[in-house]
This record gives sequence, structure tokens and C-alpha cells, in this order.
Amino acid sequence: MTETRHGDAGEEGRGPGPGAAVAAPGPGPLRADVRRGLRAGLATFWDLIKMMVPAYFIALLLERLGVIAVLAEGAEPVMSLLGLPGEAAVPLVVGYVLNIYAAIGAMQALALSAQQVTVLAIAVLIGHNLLVEGVVLQRAGMNGVAFGVLRIVAGLAAAGVANLLMGVV
Amino acid sequence: MGPVTDFLRTFVEGAGGLALRMFVIVVPIMVVMEVLEGTRPFRAFVRAWARLVGRWLGMSEQAAAPTVIGFLFGLAYGGSLIVRDTRRHGLRRRQVFQMSVFLSMVHAVVEDSLIFVAVGASAFWIVVYRCAWAAVVTVVLGAVAVAFVERRRARRPRPPV
Repeated sequence: MTETRHGDAGEEGRGPGPGAAVAAPGPGPLRADVRRGLRAGLATFWDLIKMMVPAYFIALLLERLGVIAVLAEGAEPVMSLLGLPGEAAVPLVVGYVLNIYAAIGAMQALALSAQQVTVLAIAVLIGHNLLVEGVVLQRAGMNGVAFGVLRIVAGLAAAGVANLLMGVV
Repeated sequence: MGPVTDFLRTFVEGAGGLALRMFVIVVPIMVVMEVLEGTRPFRAFVRAWARLVGRWLGMSEQAAAPTVIGFLFGLAYGGSLIVRDTRRHGLRRRQVFQMSVFLSMVHAVVEDSLIFVAVGASAFWIVVYRCAWAAVVTVVLGAVAVAFVERRRARRPRPPV
């Protein structure tokens, strides 16, 4: 998981490490930080690509085969409340089940306006990776399922309100 | 051009463009973040900010720190800090609930937001608006939870002393 890796990187950066008390020999701390950042950045980049490209491939394939058009028709009534086309339900659900990287991959197969990208981004950023993150919340002593529902509902509500506000502002 | 060739061409172009946008935006910012994290002013900023936000959201100082860490670096990391601090400081259940609500709305704010900015989402809406939304949801649900617990407590007959 990327976030776990992030955590590890964060931990390294916090608090005086074992080497901090001694004057660091060799490359300065800035150079070391840059190198570590580069490594973390490339690792994240690779994680993104690993999810995004296959998701994009599958979504594009489904779109060409006409499958998304069928799904979109069913989702249209709900999605239109957010100012989104029916097919935007595909990246949304992909985000709920998998993660935001896969959602972005699936999003690339659709033609969306800048405002629609932002509205969809709000819903996906609030509700995503619900299975894995639900387990994390469960471990913190909360009800993972209830939080999953909360994130879906609050995410859609936030997206809907944003869509209305963007029309006004 | 046949449909298969067209599909492959669209795929290669789309995937290449996506990879390029991610690389150009995500990698440099991750380097900047890594360098910043180690600096004293940044840590002082995080601490000051944790106190301030904690007060707005009605969190104790002990609850605010892991919340800010999760907010910046991700739910997996913030969540494990919550688990650790719950044991260490005996965080109250209401605190844990509020931290969880806030973090389930916004976490890993730098990285996750960047990725969407890279594909054209508005930074204002996905960062500022989303944080404001998370704060409102946290405060409202916190109040609802308190009212709920108190009502249930009031309804239950007191055990004989």
C-alpha cells in the first residue's frame, strides 16, 4: 500500500534519527533528503502507473464495446444530480472499491469538462478504497462499514453542493 | 484505420499522457515535501496548526497531533498513530470518533490532491472546500454523537447506589 509506505517515509523524517546526533559524514542532510524524496516520489509514481494504466485500458475497452453506455443509462438519474454524465459512475465505483489511482485511470476514458472533473474528484477524494481503509478504521475501534456509508454519502453530498456553488460563483 | 488499431493508438497516447502528467507533477512535489518534513520551521508549523485546528474541531491536543499527521500523510499512518495513542494516552472514545470522521473525509491531502490536480481538477475545490466540508461534518457529527449518547444515558435507569 502506498499510504503505508508514506507512513514509513514520514517516520524516517520525524524525530532525531540514530544518525542525527553524530555529524553526518558524506552527503549533506539536504542531499540525503532529496535522494529520499526522489525515491519516495518514484515509488509513488510507479504505484500510480501500476493501477492507472490497467484501469484506463479496461475502461477504454468497455467504452469501445458499449458496456459503459449501458451502465451509464442506469446511473444517469443519480449522476445528473451532480451535474455528471451517467458514465461518470464507473470511475466513482472503481474508486470506492479500489483506490483513487484506478478511478483516475477509468476517468481518462471519458470526456469530461473541467468542472465535471473537479466535482467527480471531490466525491472520489472523500470516498475511496473503502475496503482497505475501512479495516484501518475498524482497527481504531470504529465501525468500518458505517464509515464506508458515511464516506459515500458525504462525498456525494459534497460533490452535489460544490456543483451547485460552482454554477453560482 | 481499423477499430483495433484505433483503440491501441488511443490507449498508448492516453496512458503516455497520463504517466507524463503524473511524473512531472507528483515526483518534484514529493521531493519538496521530503525536504520540508525534516526542517524545524515545518515541524513547528505542524504543531501550532495542530493546536489551532484541534481547538476548532473540539479535539484535545493529544488527539490533534495524529489527526494532522494523517491529514498530511495518509490514513494508514494517521490510523496507526490513533491506535497507538489510544493505548498510550487513553484517548476518549469521542475523540477517536471525531478524529476518524475528520480523517475519513480528508487524508493524505498533499499527495491525493496533487494527483487530481494533475488531471485537471481545481485545487481550490478539492483542497480548501474539501477541508471546510470535513470540518463541518466533524463538528456536526460530533455534536450528534454527544446528544445521542446523552439521551441514551438519560433514558437508562440509574443503577441503585
